[in-house]
Amino acid sequence: MTTLLEVSGVSVTFDGFRAINNLSIAIGEPELRAVIGPNGAGKTTFMDIVTGKTRPDEGRVIWGAQSVDLLKLSESDIAKIGIGRKFQKPTVFEEQSVRDNLAMALKNRRGPLSVLMWHATERDAARILELAAEIGLSDRLAHRAGDLSHGQKQWLEIGMLLAQDPRLLLVDEPAAGMTPAERAHTTDLLKRAARTRAVMVIEHDMEFIRRLECRVTVLHEGSVLAEGSLDHVTKNQQVIDVYLGR
Amino acid sequence: MEMSRRTAAPVKRRHLLQDNPSVLWFMGLLGLFTLGVTVLSEGFGIGLISTNLVKILGMTLCLCLIAIAMDVVWGYCGILSLGHFAFFGLGGYAIGMWLMYARTEIVIRESLAGSTIPPTEREVSEAVASQIFSVVGSNELPLIWSFAGSLPFQLAMVVLVPGLLALVFGWLAFRSRVTGVYLSILTQAMTLALSLYLFQNDTGLRGNNGLSGLQNIPGALHVPQSVISVWFFWASAFALGAGYLLFAWVVSGKFGSVIRAIRDNEARVRFLGYNVEGYKLFVFTLTAVISGIAGALYYPQAGIINPAEIAPIASIYLAVWVAIGGRGRLYGAVIGAALVSLLSSWLTGGGAPNIDLGFYRIIWTDWWLVMLGLGFVLVTLFFPKGIGGLFDYLVRKQ
Repeated sequence: MTTLLEVSGVSVTFDGFRAINNLSIAIGEPELRAVIGPNGAGKTTFMDIVTGKTRPDEGRVIWGAQSVDLLKLSESDIAKIGIGRKFQKPTVFEEQSVRDNLAMALKNRRGPLSVLMWHATERDAARILELAAEIGLSDRLAHRAGDLSHGQKQWLEIGMLLAQDPRLLLVDEPAAGMTPAERAHTTDLLKRAARTRAVMVIEHDMEFIRRLECRVTVLHEGSVLAEGSLDHVTKNQQVIDVYLGR
Repeated sequence: MEMSRRTAAPVKRRHLLQDNPSVLWFMGLLGLFTLGVTVLSEGFGIGLISTNLVKILGMTLCLCLIAIAMDVVWGYCGILSLGHFAFFGLGGYAIGMWLMYARTEIVIRESLAGSTIPPTEREVSEAVASQIFSVVGSNELPLIWSFAGSLPFQLAMVVLVPGLLALVFGWLAFRSRVTGVYLSILTQAMTLALSLYLFQNDTGLRGNNGLSGLQNIPGALHVPQSVISVWFFWASAFALGAGYLLFAWVVSGKFGSVIRAIRDNEARVRFLGYNVEGYKLFVFTLTAVISGIAGALYYPQAGIINPAEIAPIASIYLAVWVAIGGRGRLYGAVIGAALVSLLSSWLTGGGAPNIDLGFYRIIWTDWWLVMLGLGFVLVTLFFPKGIGGLFDYLVRKQ
């Protein structure tokens, strides 16, 4: 396992509020990692920084063996380099079909002219079918994405993430609003994806994280409070104080 | 991997028309309409449609062309541009310069033909300049008219001037991530600035006089207007048909998918790895170029172009047409533009009889704008899909 993403000494302040405070965190490839923390711990801001949505005041974000400085890249370039993101609230393109949503996410050239000339190849079509089967939406391909249930939208978004074929998946609360059966399915999907890539999952739900059986990073007030196995961090007195003490 | 993808066979590549029956319908109707107008025209047919009406219909086709461009930029890509009529006007000015220069040159040469010493090129050029620019108190040819005598050059300008302006303006605006109503205001400001600039006498485009006599086509000065009007009608119909096909192709595939996604949630599209600004710039510039071409066909039929044509209100009308016709569907834009602009010229051109109610006399010229405004509000509130939305009901019933 080699280090894929290395965030070091990152801080960001919004209107005097320090959302991220000298945060350092790294993830290898392949690896499955869960990030937990109370509300306002900076979990989503952390993802915003890695994906280029928010620029930190200080610190470094380094990517891959070539040590690319992610802070110099735009959101779309970061996505192209191999970082995919699933948002907390499922954001799929509701007016378009499930197939079109997946086709847009497929790893292909992204420039306006190549997209204009694009025609689905057999490989693309097969990949879409494969993804649809994986996320349980095979019979929904022609449906409007807006007509899907909440859980199905979550899956479609995970499917779009997989279609991008990223090296790092940042997944924000994938199980929110899912039934227990859907949660189990989602856990399997993420574990399978993490065999070949880095997957970072933000979750609140301890049960869900337990099933991921992975290393856990606890964030608190914008920096890392504890890191290790779930059992290890839940025995940590500071973590207990943060989660239960208030 | 890139190689193997390129060699992979496309999946049962469906034809554009198969997926979009509305394109076929539109082409058929446009063809029939063109044939009908030709047969009924004075120049080529039985003369049931006056030359003036042929011109109005041809101009309406040009307005339909800019309306579908507006629909692509606004209805599909979500950029409410209130400046596309500026590109339309620039296209008109570009072709107008050639029309005016070349025709004046012919007239001058004819008048000097009788003189004992043949005039030099310089004398001709000076005579043309004083003929065109005496109205703004000048007799020198401005720099931008240097190649006005060359049709290929001015035709290139029809495409290049709107295209480059859109490219530079769009690059600056999109790069700074100006969106929504702020972008609309910015495009409106661009239009206003351009219009005010052209109103000045020393800009080289004859200030508020504009360019006139554009209906006289150099090289065809002996051809009656009844024939020329049909030529331009054909050209306008062809341009509309070609523009419709082009845009139908642009919005039908994955590109259309991406620009509609940008309209609905551009931040999300960025995280998929698409350079949103590049797409917006592409759409903005492409539609600006088509608008310029539409203008270049419109003004020779109108006969005159002046800076008032570029005034911001024209671009707002354009948005109103598209909203009334139905955003996000090309035929909706055509219906909106044709219906509203024809109604407008009928009601304000004295075609509709005023109605005397005894206690009040309805004068359509006064009431037309009120009706248009009311119609816009009603459509926005109750029929967000516009007139084109009615077709959805028809299709669903079948």
